[in-house]
Amino acid sequence: MKNLLKLTAGELARLVRYKILPVSLVTSVIWIVLFLYLPENEALEVAPLLIIVDVTVMSVLLLGASHHLEKQEGTIKTMMVMPVTLGQILAAKTASSMILALESAAVTSAALFFIHKISFNYAVLFLFVLIAAAAHAAIGFALSLKSRDFTGMLVLLVGYMFLFTIPSFLFNIGLIDEKYEWLLMLSPSHSASRLIISAVTGNFDAVLTVTGSLYLAILTAALFKFAVYPGFKDNAIRG
Amino acid sequence: MKAAFSVEDLSFRYPSSKEDTIRRISFEVYEGEIFGLLGPSGAGKSTIQKILIKLLGNYRGTIKYFGKDLNSLSNSYYEEIGVGFEVPVHFSKLTALENMKFFSGFYKKRANIQELMERVGLWEYRNVKVAEFSKGMKVRLNFVRAMLNHPRVLFLDEVTNGLDPKNARIIKDMIAEYRAGGGTVFLTTHLMNDVEQLCDRIVFCVDGRLVETSTPRDLKLKYGKREVKVEYRKNGNIESAIFPLDGIGFNNEFQDLLRSGKVETIHSCETSMEEIFILVTGVDLK
Repeated sequence: MKNLLKLTAGELARLVRYKILPVSLVTSVIWIVLFLYLPENEALEVAPLLIIVDVTVMSVLLLGASHHLEKQEGTIKTMMVMPVTLGQILAAKTASSMILALESAAVTSAALFFIHKISFNYAVLFLFVLIAAAAHAAIGFALSLKSRDFTGMLVLLVGYMFLFTIPSFLFNIGLIDEKYEWLLMLSPSHSASRLIISAVTGNFDAVLTVTGSLYLAILTAALFKFAVYPGFKDNAIRG
Repeated sequence: MKAAFSVEDLSFRYPSSKEDTIRRISFEVYEGEIFGLLGPSGAGKSTIQKILIKLLGNYRGTIKYFGKDLNSLSNSYYEEIGVGFEVPVHFSKLTALENMKFFSGFYKKRANIQELMERVGLWEYRNVKVAEFSKGMKVRLNFVRAMLNHPRVLFLDEVTNGLDPKNARIIKDMIAEYRAGGGTVFLTTHLMNDVEQLCDRIVFCVDGRLVETSTPRDLKLKYGKREVKVEYRKNGNIESAIFPLDGIGFNNEFQDLLRSGKVETIHSCETSMEEIFILVTGVDLK
């Protein structure tokens, strides 16, 4: 546990040094400026979408950037010869990615509250953000491990977004019929989106919420066990 | 002498490969010695080191670390070993001191970072980001990183590659002192100068097999010519003559040359480590 905390603290410190956390904060500030110019009802509609973008796209992007930087620097290799487990290294990286997603959700929520006096169940939102962020950290790792460099990872991410994120976005703006939502739940982006929209708007569909949470949790576990863990070790050894 | 590592019948095949990269090798590394693993690129040196530092598993054969099966050792094994990689392995946006403090924080036994950094001449640059370091500075910091936990066994890969002679000397002195204090060193290198100056025993690895294990001195005797080359001045010109080492005390021509007072240099014709490397591995170092 002590090692996990040290590793996570190290990850967060590096997120600041590598300007990843500041970039994420700047994005949040842009959202705040946007809220200043939107009426209350539109702000409430846009807010979950901004959190979704941060959790499902930005977090994957930032994780990929950090992974490829560390790969370039060879630091993963040297961490593998420290008295810590690979599980602890991955858990610390995932935790820092989840903290990044929470920070973004917290800033957006605070902006909504202070600008439009809109509040909602923050505990539920943060829980769903954590579930979605863990799944997207696993996806971010999987995409990073499958790519040679950051540019290659961006190409994979664009492909992923075409397949999973854009259909969910089209659904959210009403361009895809509601009867297809169950099919869309296979998309991690849409499952995350369903959870976050429910938390912000307070409109819960119990079956879809449970299904989305379970699906993301199982996907996270499966990706870490079968893709991320073995791939990460292999990647670190090959340098 | 106690064996730090006993390797018996070790074979290893990468999952993507059809053939074994390491083929039934056996050797021992004794506690308190500097053991050099030499060989051309692709011979399997890095694979052997990766197996010994537990980055690669699924090998065949047995490896014992101070009598214990390597496979049975947990991550606490890393409390006892220090690994110096050939390539720099630091967070470039952090300072040298921040890097060392981060890595050091995970060990129970911690060396004095200031002492180590002062010794390799990096203490005055402790607050400089590693990204601004030269290659030589990064190599020195790699060495400090490997020494952070007072390791019982030190794995070093091309430890002086990229260093100027002065800094290479400092690192070699530190390695020698570490050995004198009872430490064991597993050195992988292609720099024959390091081998001659540091290694107690060396082994050559060729095509996944170990072909020759000996001391640098014995190898020089084995592969060297038992001759003496004398350079002397004659009629204003430099000339040379070679004499057999055996019976040289009774060689009149050699004795006359010595008495003539015209001798400028005398060299025994021992083979250099580079030549031995080429002879044993069949691969040129250049």
